[in-house]
Amino acid sequence: MSANRWLATGNYFTSYREEQRIFFTSLDRTAMALFILGLFLWPFFIDVGNKYMLVIDNILIAVIAVMGLNLVTGFAGLISIGHAAFVGVGAYTIASFARVFGENHFLLSHAWPVMILAAGAMGAFFGAIVGLPALRLKHLYLAIATLSFQMIFEWTMKFMDFFNQGQTIAVGRVFWLTGEVSRSAHYIFWYYAILVLIVLVGFAVRNLLRTRYGRCLIAVRDNDRAADAMGMHPGLTKVYAFALAGFLAGVAGALHAYLYRGVGVESFTLHHSINYLAMAIVGGLGTLPGSFMGPLAIKMLDMQVEQLSEWASSHLAFAANLATALKPLSFGLVIVLFLMFEPRGIANWWRIARSYVKLWPFRY
Amino acid sequence: MSYFFQLVVSGIVVGSIYALSALGFVLIYKSSRVLNIAHGQFIASGAFITYALTVWANIPIYISFPASMLATFFLAMSVERVFLRRLIGEPIISVIMVTIGLMSILDGLIYLTPFGAENFSFPPFLPTTPIGFAGVSISWTQLVGVVTTFSLIACFTWFFKKSTVGISMRAVSDDQLAAMSIGISVPRVFGLAWAMAGLSAAAAGGVIGNITGLNFDTLHAFGIVVFPVVILGGLDSILGAVVAGIIMGLIQQFASGYLDGHWGLSGTGEVMPYIVLLVILLFKPHGLFGIHEIERV
Amino acid sequence: MKKDNLTRWMFLLGAVVMVTLPGQALAGEVYKLGLSLAITGPTSDAGNPYAKGVEDYFKYVNDTKMLGDDTIDCTIRDDQYKNDITKQNFEDFLDQGIVFYLNYSTGSTLALKKDFEEVKMPVIPASFHAGNLVDSNYIFLPIASYSDQAIGLAEYIVTNHKGGMPKVALFIHPSAFGRGPVEDLQKAVSAGLALEIVEVVEHGKDLDNTAMLKRLMSKGVQYVISQTVQSPVATMLKDADSLGLVAKSFGEEGKVTFLGCHYTGGNDLVALAGAAAENFYWTTSYIVTNEPSPGATAQLELAKRYNRDEKAANSHNYANGMMVAQVATEVIRRAKAKGKEINNVTLYEELQEMNGDNAYSPGTTVGPVTYSKTDHTGVDSLQLYVVKDGAFRSAGTPFIPKYTGKK
Repeated sequence: MSANRWLATGNYFTSYREEQRIFFTSLDRTAMALFILGLFLWPFFIDVGNKYMLVIDNILIAVIAVMGLNLVTGFAGLISIGHAAFVGVGAYTIASFARVFGENHFLLSHAWPVMILAAGAMGAFFGAIVGLPALRLKHLYLAIATLSFQMIFEWTMKFMDFFNQGQTIAVGRVFWLTGEVSRSAHYIFWYYAILVLIVLVGFAVRNLLRTRYGRCLIAVRDNDRAADAMGMHPGLTKVYAFALAGFLAGVAGALHAYLYRGVGVESFTLHHSINYLAMAIVGGLGTLPGSFMGPLAIKMLDMQVEQLSEWASSHLAFAANLATALKPLSFGLVIVLFLMFEPRGIANWWRIARSYVKLWPFRY
Repeated sequence: MSYFFQLVVSGIVVGSIYALSALGFVLIYKSSRVLNIAHGQFIASGAFITYALTVWANIPIYISFPASMLATFFLAMSVERVFLRRLIGEPIISVIMVTIGLMSILDGLIYLTPFGAENFSFPPFLPTTPIGFAGVSISWTQLVGVVTTFSLIACFTWFFKKSTVGISMRAVSDDQLAAMSIGISVPRVFGLAWAMAGLSAAAAGGVIGNITGLNFDTLHAFGIVVFPVVILGGLDSILGAVVAGIIMGLIQQFASGYLDGHWGLSGTGEVMPYIVLLVILLFKPHGLFGIHEIERV
Repeated sequence: MKKDNLTRWMFLLGAVVMVTLPGQALAGEVYKLGLSLAITGPTSDAGNPYAKGVEDYFKYVNDTKMLGDDTIDCTIRDDQYKNDITKQNFEDFLDQGIVFYLNYSTGSTLALKKDFEEVKMPVIPASFHAGNLVDSNYIFLPIASYSDQAIGLAEYIVTNHKGGMPKVALFIHPSAFGRGPVEDLQKAVSAGLALEIVEVVEHGKDLDNTAMLKRLMSKGVQYVISQTVQSPVATMLKDADSLGLVAKSFGEEGKVTFLGCHYTGGNDLVALAGAAAENFYWTTSYIVTNEPSPGATAQLELAKRYNRDEKAANSHNYANGMMVAQVATEVIRRAKAKGKEINNVTLYEELQEMNGDNAYSPGTTVGPVTYSKTDHTGVDSLQLYVVKDGAFRSAGTPFIPKYTGKK
């Protein structure tokens, strides 16, 4: 431990235990606490309107989903092109409940935290099932197996009457201590609900990675045969990575169902799976901060491009085609440029910035 | 019984078009271990270039069709040069994502042209009366499609078996280091593989466009539709693509021919290939003809 | 000293002018409207001309001062056919304070139904799905629903078929959009419409419909009613054409007559299917520009005024977009004429009074737009068109289907 608990310019670890700490200095801890406090407090001072609150809620939900994807694809190295289907499983858990017991059933409206957990459990269950082929399949073949799950999921939802043939199944409003959450309070309420969950899940994932089970994932990613030789069980690890990812995806799906007060298959298509992957990549695969930055960056890009194309189509009459082309074009360019020039994602900039601050005033 | 044979014939027709679309994946994967998700966009652009040359520039179709193949040949080659060359040696996930990004970029570029939001169809240049035989019929468009597929596949097979460049490409796919040590330019081989995939994509685009008409959504969806085919056949086998293409074509036709409308099922032709794929992968993790990789610690 | 005072006054005068001038230029009120639709992504071939129709008509309203000094500001947003983005756009429109909302897809209309109820926002979607109206007070279909269209086609088959019971197959999109009319048509059949539904085919991304067509032939099917988008219909027509199955005249013995609802037809179908589209029967409530009519002239002039290309100008979806804009403008005009404040509540009232003597004829449709408290379907009349020599021509006069279950 360095003499100064606030600024540690350099590495003072004397045991492996110290290296595994979540916060290295008191500054880290205080900054984090203030940041989280800020996240909770800002809505009291700034009113952003329903649209942007919805966008923010959306980003937070994507953060939870991407954390799951990062566990399976980033840390365990198993490419999943079917993550949106797992999110869908969570959402449809809520929807099926609403369909059987009615959209305003007591459990659905009052015991929503329990329902969200149940949706997560369902997601985990499907994750484990889809993870089973991972025992035999590798790399691209596995990626395509997850793609198959995505396709089968979409077909089932569109086909079965029980799931309203993929059309929206309504989910009622929830109750809180103050009574029913009204329309005007809806988005802000879910902001807090999701925020609390994210803080919990974030610390849970961070802690998981400090344990034997977390390190197992990384070992299997880097070389599963070597991990096997070291006494880990690669098969089991892969299946449980999928289950964990499925759990977080399921939770995200349930939140999506409550936030939009309805579930339709169109929110969980292959396109969304690709979007989650893009978020994970841009944020930084295999990093925890990346799971937060990726969704934020991609959604911000979306909003910016939308405004730009709106501006373009209102000022340049001939640019109507240009405006519609901008969205896919910019999305594609961002992914490609990141992969070509910063394959470790935004999280890498964050790491560089942190280490610069940490070592300041020295260069290294 | 003639219904059964009709299903078989239709299955083979559809299957060989799948094989043609799948060929592009295999060519790229075989040499450079890249799964090109943007292949559907290449198929679409091939079809659009053919249309633009035939209708807007008034070039006869038997010239414009090869010309568009040449155009996508260079298009794909430059795509490889600009985007993929830098990523040699990066993990698979990055490479997949680059092709996904590429897909978006090509989407955007196509939205800039009239093809993005409008529909077109090729002027008819084949006889419209189908060829019938014992109650089974096949249209000229489809027949031409099948013939194009098989002649192209025959060309590629000859190319890989006999020509020096083809053999050097096989060498690269076998062992990059060894190939380099005997003086084969690996990046050039990658570029060539992409170019040939582009060429086959234009061929597929022309054939499909003739059957369905030119609608961007329909055309680029083929990039995804043929995934089960490529995986079933094994990612690195041309023969596999052909066999798997035809198997998938048959499965689809039989599923929609015999399952749909019974037991309240419908649209099974869409999902059946994926189910069959999952089952087969459980027993043969590298597809039917894929090469087992030997892994060392 | 004096000079100083003068400059001060000059400044003040300048400031006053600066403040009041723009105020005077914008003396009229601005009514905000919102439209969210698929300009890119699936169905963009329909969404694109639709957006142009809406945009041009509102521009026209402002340019010709149709509402006096007041102007309409309609924000058009692309939602790429994704419900989530539609919801986001809708919330944004609400934040901006819209008084009327235009929506697009079936999926998003169903998904936002509850929101429309809660905020009491009158909505006209581009989806004519009958299910939109279930449990909803604020959704207004511009024209007869897909179900009504399919029933209309079925009735036409029944009246014009010679010989026994006509055998019909349905060729539908694998979604609620496609499946919507199936049940309603079956209801009409059990209510006494004399035809037999032999099979309901859901299509996929098919490259070959030969087997399907032969199966239908072997079951004796003579009519196929399609409820999907153009591309699959075009593929089916091409296959049917190459098999020589397409009837040369309506209901020809031993051949198949193909019919379709609004989104299967139009110039796009002819563009996709080419010569194979010949003798395809299509129903909608919109006029077509192939045939001269006041509405067609208005449509073509509007498109010309804002430099739209031929394709957009002649698209029935351009007429579609133009028509919903016309209806929106009309209700604002009427509410204004009555001296009401323009907001979602008054416009909703105004829409529901659009019946009887107050029915509105936009010209772009084959019948008048009528809404009431119980009837939220705009144009009830349908027109049958048939492709002759590569263009849709009217077949018969506009008609109103009888077996729709409406009182």
